[in-house]
Amino acid sequence: MSDAPAALDVHAEAEFELQNAEGAIWTATRLLIGIVTFAWSAVAFAYFYLRAVDPAQLWRPHGTTPPVLLGTLVALGVVGGALINAYAAPRLRRGETADWIFATSVTVGLGLLAAGLQVWQLTRLSFFPGVSGYTSVFIGFAGLNIAFILGGTYWVETLLARAIRLRPALAAEGGPGLSTLPAAREFRASLEGCTYFWWYMAIISVLFWFLFYVL
Amino acid sequence: MQQSVLTALLGSAIGYLVGHWLGNLIASGYPVVQSSGYNNVAIVLGLCFGVVGWMVGIGTMNYPLAKLVGREPVPESPTEGWTRFFKMTLDHKVVGMQYIVGVLMFFFTGGLFAMAIRTELLSPTTHYWGPDTYLQLVSEHGTIMMMMATSLVVGPFGNFLVPLMIGSRKMAFPRVEAASFWIFMSGFLVILAALPLGGFNTGWTGYAPLQTEAKQGMDCYLVGFAVIGTGMILNGFNQIVTIVNYRAPGMRWTRLPIFVWSMLATSFLLTLATPVFFGAVYFGALDRTVQTAFFVDAHGGSSFLWENLFWFFGHPEVYIMALPGFGIVAEMLPVFTRKPLFAYKVGAAGMFGVALLSFFVWQHHLFQSGINPDMRPLFMLTTELISIPTGFIYLVGMGTLWKARIRYTVPMLFCLALYFNFLIGGVTGVYLSDVPVNVTVHGSFFVMAHFHYTIMGGLVFAFFGGVYYWMPKMTGHMLNDRLGKIHFWFMFVFFNFTFFPLFIVGLLGMPRRVFEYAPRLAHLNDFSSISSFVLGASFLIFVANFVWSIWIDPKPAPQNPWDSKGLEWQVPTPIPYDNFKRIPIVLADPYHYGEPDALPVADLGGELGLASVGAAGPSAAAGAGTSRTGAGDGQSRIVGGGPDE
Repeated sequence: MSDAPAALDVHAEAEFELQNAEGAIWTATRLLIGIVTFAWSAVAFAYFYLRAVDPAQLWRPHGTTPPVLLGTLVALGVVGGALINAYAAPRLRRGETADWIFATSVTVGLGLLAAGLQVWQLTRLSFFPGVSGYTSVFIGFAGLNIAFILGGTYWVETLLARAIRLRPALAAEGGPGLSTLPAAREFRASLEGCTYFWWYMAIISVLFWFLFYVL
Repeated sequence: MQQSVLTALLGSAIGYLVGHWLGNLIASGYPVVQSSGYNNVAIVLGLCFGVVGWMVGIGTMNYPLAKLVGREPVPESPTEGWTRFFKMTLDHKVVGMQYIVGVLMFFFTGGLFAMAIRTELLSPTTHYWGPDTYLQLVSEHGTIMMMMATSLVVGPFGNFLVPLMIGSRKMAFPRVEAASFWIFMSGFLVILAALPLGGFNTGWTGYAPLQTEAKQGMDCYLVGFAVIGTGMILNGFNQIVTIVNYRAPGMRWTRLPIFVWSMLATSFLLTLATPVFFGAVYFGALDRTVQTAFFVDAHGGSSFLWENLFWFFGHPEVYIMALPGFGIVAEMLPVFTRKPLFAYKVGAAGMFGVALLSFFVWQHHLFQSGINPDMRPLFMLTTELISIPTGFIYLVGMGTLWKARIRYTVPMLFCLALYFNFLIGGVTGVYLSDVPVNVTVHGSFFVMAHFHYTIMGGLVFAFFGGVYYWMPKMTGHMLNDRLGKIHFWFMFVFFNFTFFPLFIVGLLGMPRRVFEYAPRLAHLNDFSSISSFVLGASFLIFVANFVWSIWIDPKPAPQNPWDSKGLEWQVPTPIPYDNFKRIPIVLADPYHYGEPDALPVADLGGELGLASVGAAGPSAAAGAGTSRTGAGDGQSRIVGGGPDE
């Protein structure tokens, strides 16, 4: 009994539930990355499996590389979004909300641009999707990439919209980056998760850029 | 217009029409569409838009769209009445009960297909269905049942019970929880839509190249599994986050109910294995729509790629189906034996051992194809290894039963049946892991009987045990005991009569998915078929019991009819919207039956304070635990304690 936790009063209950919510966002973000990693692993497995097995000697016939410049711009868009996001998040925590809003708007723009360029790249292919294992895997990659880039962009856009909406209410407390109100704390937890997710997407973008355009 | 299942149906119809129109607009000029007459793009887009329309119609997209403009979530007001079961709700208890109805719809539909299969097998040569129809029935049956089984326990009981058992007022993400259910139900519509589209004849495994060549019903299989898979991921994701973060103070990992451990282990499998399968069905859909060649050997793909991706998910899925069943029975055994759960930590470790090892065995499904023969011993070994943690879990049950004074209630009968059935299913599984036996009986009814013994004999029996056990807390009414026992005995006897002969016909060489067989096997098949009809009828007894006990002759259930120490039984019935008026302080695990000095399980009231429990000593606290004074707020103060034996 000596190590039994103390009973909670009403205020402590509210704080306990708020901590639960913050912890839930932390766990959810890491778990989301695990889920997405396993989804990407299906693409990576297909890539290496078909490349290794290559039953019809059709892994990658000549002239089946998708437009490299567009592919590179897509990856750069995601990496740029992650970098700007990572640069802006500490500024928000220092109370520089306007800076963060501007930088995050750029991240949203880069995310939309990257997804748009990925779609455009699919319209500029010089090969038929089913001519080889490589082209098939590329088409599969591109579809998933669009979905995850849009998902990441959606997340950061909702944070942006939330910050703009919360800003007047939290101004007296230093804005969403400094306020101790529950809404601000949950916002920061979500922002931390979102930043983490964008870093992850940047790593994925670079890895698949290497697989499809360099290797 | 208030959003409900009607608006969801309307949304799905509109979505399907829009998607189909779009698909025709995009692809009707494709040479492959013009030459075959089939436009898979239109079907796939129709189904995808239909699912989106369903989700918009039910209301799951309201909040994600509101977030785009920075809106805060609107708190839900508690609602009463039966109409709440036909709407999106944030109450985990309602979602759990919605899931019960949902999985039963899957189960009874799949069961009808099963009886259609057994009807065909009544005679080796006289046919009720054509060969194509037979294969479509087998495929629909297998797919619907597998879809159902992935959520059979995690959906209903996971959502209903986990917050109550860990002392939480809610799931971590209630909207995700609601979305997981409604997307699960859209999968039901999608897979049934395969029938008017010509069905699919690949079985539930969907192997390529048959998959690539199949009729448009195959699109429903691919989209259906993607949709169900999304629901599985969402559900597992939410369970993990809830269990990790929303445990009440004092609910240490070593006090977590064993059922919650099983949910946690299963949820890791759901969230990590399913995305790979999602990728596989996505590739399959691309092969059939935009003409990629993932699974087309002649164009640089490989049909074995499907087998690998499918079974990387498919074998963990076996444990997605098995572990929750063990969680349920391990939770109930101490209650009906009045003994502590034997080797609790071993049981929890066994569940995670099974979950971990299940990722390393998938190649045993490829012993006959697509694997270097030199690799067989490795995967034979990993498969045999998994029997060790499975044995731990089994022995936890046996140890709890050892020298117990068992109360043979209806839920307990289902528990005991699981151990009987799973022993047969498990031992035959060990045989099947060995390459020589596997090669001999591959693709036969022996394999089919084996997995029915593990999944139906294990999971489905546990599910019904759970329904009888927790229904008083869910509905406030006891299910009729006599009808329950009749249901149990019919189900148990005729389950064994149906499936045990199939081991023999399998060993005698009868292959699966073939609608003709050797005349010498007719007697055993007839026996199995007739037994299956009685087995099917036994579920009508359950339905009759449910209707009788809930609507015709409802008998109010006591708050804790089984005298359980579980936290979920300490809250009043009906359970308040927020479960606990005050966040409970957990003092002990809920398995200290027959221990005179056992601590109470939890302090639900808060006002008495833990200091008073400590000062008065465990015995005084235990005494308070049995009094259940209610103390004005409808919830007892110190609960689940005391020398009850």
